[in-house]
Amino acid sequence: MRRMRWTWAPLGGTVLLLLLFSQAFSAPPQCQLGVPAIKLGVQGVASGPHADYGRQIQMGATMAIEEINAKGGILGCRLEMRFMDDENRPATGVRNARLLVTEYGAHFLYGTDSSGVAMALGPVLKELNRIQFFTHAATHRLTEELVAQQGIKQIVRVSAPVYQDAIAAWVFKDNPAIRRWATIGADYEYGYAVWGLFRETLRKFRPDVEFVGAAWAPFLTTDFTPHISAVMAQNPDAIIATPWAGEAVTLLRQAVLMGVFDKIQVWFQAMGGSVDVLEGIAREVQDGRFKGKLWATARYIHNWPNTQTNRAFVERFQKRWSRLPNYSAETTYSAIYITKAAVEKARSLETDKVLAALRGMQIVTPAGLRVFREEDHQFVYTVPAGRVVWSERYNMPVLGDLRIFDPKDYWRWPPFTPIPMGK
Amino acid sequence: MMRNGAIGRAWLGVRLFTGFLLIFFALLPRFSSTYVVYLTIHILILSLFALGFNLLFGYTGLLSFGQAGFYAVGAYVCARILLVRPSLLLGVVGGMLAACLVSLVVGALSVRHTRIYFSMLTLAFGMIIFSLAWKWRDVTGGDDGLVGIPRAPLVLGPLAVDMTRLDHYYSFVFFLAVLAIWFMYRIVTSPFGLTLQAIRDSEVRASFTGIPVRAHRFWAFVIAGTYAGLAGSLLPPLENTVTPPVAHWTTSAEPVLATLLGGIHSFAGPIVGAFLLFVIKDLIVRVTIHWSIVLGITVIVLVMGFRGGVAGVLAGLFQRVVAVKVSRTPEPIPVGSEGEES
Repeated sequence: MRRMRWTWAPLGGTVLLLLLFSQAFSAPPQCQLGVPAIKLGVQGVASGPHADYGRQIQMGATMAIEEINAKGGILGCRLEMRFMDDENRPATGVRNARLLVTEYGAHFLYGTDSSGVAMALGPVLKELNRIQFFTHAATHRLTEELVAQQGIKQIVRVSAPVYQDAIAAWVFKDNPAIRRWATIGADYEYGYAVWGLFRETLRKFRPDVEFVGAAWAPFLTTDFTPHISAVMAQNPDAIIATPWAGEAVTLLRQAVLMGVFDKIQVWFQAMGGSVDVLEGIAREVQDGRFKGKLWATARYIHNWPNTQTNRAFVERFQKRWSRLPNYSAETTYSAIYITKAAVEKARSLETDKVLAALRGMQIVTPAGLRVFREEDHQFVYTVPAGRVVWSERYNMPVLGDLRIFDPKDYWRWPPFTPIPMGK
Repeated sequence: MMRNGAIGRAWLGVRLFTGFLLIFFALLPRFSSTYVVYLTIHILILSLFALGFNLLFGYTGLLSFGQAGFYAVGAYVCARILLVRPSLLLGVVGGMLAACLVSLVVGALSVRHTRIYFSMLTLAFGMIIFSLAWKWRDVTGGDDGLVGIPRAPLVLGPLAVDMTRLDHYYSFVFFLAVLAIWFMYRIVTSPFGLTLQAIRDSEVRASFTGIPVRAHRFWAFVIAGTYAGLAGSLLPPLENTVTPPVAHWTTSAEPVLATLLGGIHSFAGPIVGAFLLFVIKDLIVRVTIHWSIVLGITVIVLVMGFRGGVAGVLAGLFQRVVAVKVSRTPEPIPVGSEGEES
């Protein structure tokens, strides 16, 4: 018995040592920020007709966190996330933010699709003193009013605001055949602001254009035929439309059925470059029902810019989720990498230090170079507009015939003056 | 006497429990997190909203789908006042009075009808107010709503209480809620409240006894609208913002759901329902983003399992226990009763 024990002892000791060594080498590096993990609170609409946008926010955030954690986290700190549904309701968004910060202990907040939710969150972020990186909500008031005027410094926007939709004016300003413009607008601030910005921008180049009609469709409209008829009665050469997500798909299909594309020269669908919209109109695009007249943009499109960073992002995203990323996925993904850069520079999770680290930041993201604008905490970048075409490579429609403009041409710049609302 | 003693002890127990709850909630900010305080303010607001609604539904038999309209009027008017003149009391009273005025007009038009026609009318009026909130941009801020509403100080003569601290605001809301609940209790136990129940049970019989049915319905409607306005006016200082969804019919559904959960024929039903609704949802959203499915199933189980509402079932159980105790208590034998019988 005694011999047996001595035989096993060196073997047991060796195994124990090996285990200790393996633990020592595989143990995650110590978090240099003194927290067990960096907690990220993410929210977006995850129920109802716009739920895909919240889902894309969640997918983008999850992928960024997985990638960062696989490479050792931020300063040795692992990232954790809690995602919540804001139901597109401001009250729910505010409650979520409070829960995420005070109960979950989120160090940073992300997401939010609706402008209404974003505007409601602004003052609460100041009270909670937490930075939220907004990755979809597009109202100009979020940054122009709440940040630049009221000084709510905890607001940072990574996605392009409503300015971007004025890009249509730059795309079509040199086409003399298009003189009569009309809109089928989303019947709330987004639609009015787009129509106002578009008219203001186009008038600078084309005093001869006429704005002949406007029909406003409330949120969750399913029958656009009265709006289409009202606008078509004015014989427009071109239409700019702002209903988005599933509503954009419905509107475009109904316009096809009503023969609109036989009568007009151009239809510009403001957020029509989003993956969900492109998937929704795939059959019509493949069949050529839009006759090459449908143009669109988005806050990010997966086939531009043609950089290694973007190509790799899209490839990884497709591999991880079996889908293409839409803009809310890319902006949230980039927002987390922006956080990483800022925290690594600040070496702190404190709001003021992280905000100081954001100053002057220029960061390469899948959407291209993003530059932090200090006056309104808006990251500036460009997204092209393009014609909706069928892509054999992606087996779905994409934006082709791309028109790229410098953001200084079509973005608004401080000091801000009120946007002439279009309605 | 002994039976009366048993009943008296039971009611003493109820009063002691109510007193314990009052002390517990009054001291809540001292021992709980900011989020729990915030959530409790929401529960109190929904409780007031649902109490007013139940005066119409549970006590008068009128199902309104437009209470969110008055809730929104209270919220928007309070917000506008606070943006111009930062006085919390002025904002809350102003919001409540505005909702009262609007309910006077809407009530005069709505109580001419009953059942589904009344419900549809109130739904239509509620959605008109929603459309106004959405479209009247100069006043309501349109879809983005009114932002940056201050949690103004409570000014009482020379005294000004700072309300930027959430626990201070909680105390203000708690005080108002207790006052409003007490006032509602007085209403439903008054001859007016009993008359409303008579109208609910049989409109024809009530009118044959000379009760002015429409006038009673009208005043019940106005009180319900005023309570909705009070609840709504407590929201903007809490959230610093007010947006059109507060006027949407889905907001009108919240007091309906709370009341059904808690119990329509129990005074405390709407309060218990508001508490359950918030707590259950808060627990579910922490676990899954598919909260609506889980919440729906939970509500179905509660509504089917607790017929008459959770508070209704608990009140029934309490009464049964008291009845059993009373029945076990021996009836005192009257002195000289045997002699009388013989």
